[in-house]
Amino acid sequence: MNRTASDYSRREFLAGVSGAAAVAAASFGQTRKTPVIDCHTHAGTGTALTDPWTTIADPEEILRRNREAGIDKACIFPISHDTFEEANQEIVSIVKRYPGRFIGYAKHDPVNEKGRIRAMLLKECRTMGLRGLKLHVTPTPEVLDTVAELKIPIIWHPDNVATFERVVKGYPTIDFILAHIGSDLSNNWREHETAIAVARNYPNIYLDTGAVVLTRYIEQAIKEAGPEKVVFGSDEPEVDCRLEIYKIRVLKLPKEQEEMILGGNILKLLSKYEGGKA
Amino acid sequence: MSQKARKSLIIDCHAVVSKGRTWADPPREVDYDVNQLLERGAEAGIDRHCVVPARNDTYLEANREVARIVEKHSPRLIGFAAHSPQREAGRLRKMLTEEVKSMGLRGVRSDGHPTRELLDVAMELGIPVMYYPNFTRGQSLGKYYHMPAMAYPKVNFILPHLGQFRSLSWPAHMEALDLARRYRNVHVETSGVGSFKYLEMAARELPAEQMLFGTCAPELDPRVEREALRLLKLPPDCFSKVAGLNILRLLGKPSV
Repeated sequence: MNRTASDYSRREFLAGVSGAAAVAAASFGQTRKTPVIDCHTHAGTGTALTDPWTTIADPEEILRRNREAGIDKACIFPISHDTFEEANQEIVSIVKRYPGRFIGYAKHDPVNEKGRIRAMLLKECRTMGLRGLKLHVTPTPEVLDTVAELKIPIIWHPDNVATFERVVKGYPTIDFILAHIGSDLSNNWREHETAIAVARNYPNIYLDTGAVVLTRYIEQAIKEAGPEKVVFGSDEPEVDCRLEIYKIRVLKLPKEQEEMILGGNILKLLSKYEGGKA
Repeated sequence: MSQKARKSLIIDCHAVVSKGRTWADPPREVDYDVNQLLERGAEAGIDRHCVVPARNDTYLEANREVARIVEKHSPRLIGFAAHSPQREAGRLRKMLTEEVKSMGLRGVRSDGHPTRELLDVAMELGIPVMYYPNFTRGQSLGKYYHMPAMAYPKVNFILPHLGQFRSLSWPAHMEALDLARRYRNVHVETSGVGSFKYLEMAARELPAEQMLFGTCAPELDPRVEREALRLLKLPPDCFSKVAGLNILRLLGKPSV
């Protein structure tokens, strides 16, 4: 049975996250106010079978590593496809299969799905309970206007930071999370530096720490953009969350800052949802 | 980690010191801080670091600087020379022999495809050759590694980053595993592997004798690389080999 918008109210969502944190805290034998949330995880099945990220991202394996890493919840979205209607439905079913462990995001291709995205995304958030959008392809006004209306965050892995900045400039009310501090697997350190600079300049830009190999840029991001602008992510299952979270913990940050990065910041962005009724 | 594993000597087979450029592209001018390497290495419980110079056009001066740094921080550091088989052709035998026999360096990093000139003298000196082909996505690691590994079975090769720094191309990791399975003289090094599952594959599928712990520090954080080694959850005897015994075996006895 499809749940209605009232079933997925903001209050219920926040209560669910807090509940998960309490359970996790109890299981780790400690008191923890803020849940640990991985903001960047892929899940589901692919059809192309050309690369790991077009084949499979097994939620069972992700959960096993999440538990070992002390991660309470992960934001999950599909692996690579040409279009995402079915893949987003699979995300919804994974979220339901493992109650309290995942926060579902939609993913869309603004070019391949042109003209259909507004309707799909409204439905995915309002009636299917998804709470964010993952992008690789540069978003169009169709995508951005819908996201602004829903008040959901976008986590975007752009071709380059300059493209990202051009889009962000026009949408100051949308919270943008720049994946990989601007450079997946630290492919180009200059992009990390540009990413940190733009995060300083725009209040609505956040930096995801996932799959940053040159970890000095995580330190630099926290120092220069501020801990309130950095969100922990892993890019599971291609990148191991146990190592990714260690890259934060090894910095031995003040407790308050570490909590912000490991969960508080993303929780704040997710709590803005005002999707309304279907 | 088990009691036995904690007692293992931990040797990082791949760290970098001194001035030059980064080994990885895009290049960056660097002057690596050996104190940060030693401090973070100690924090990670690493007993020794094998150090190569930062990338340079030629290596006469850079290798001398490595020897000076190693002497100053003895016994924490073990020095490797670096050479360009192409840009320093014709002079390799003389330079490398002196660097090993007089200056105490115990391995060589090949900056470019290794030639017979380099491999002949490395074989005679009994030192390992670290070689990471700088190939772009879509090219084959095997194209660079099969011939040297096959033609010089007595030379021990160290293949950094399980064949692909930062895991930018996953097929290169698979090729590295295949190369190590085929050639006993190819040893895969663990640092800078962005996609940890390929290290887990290596730990499952390769003989422990062909895997070497490395950090690529201070370019990478040795504490993170050490955590990756821990997460491999190797049985104690395998851990000891990967963590230090293997590189000790490859280095042979010091000349000075």
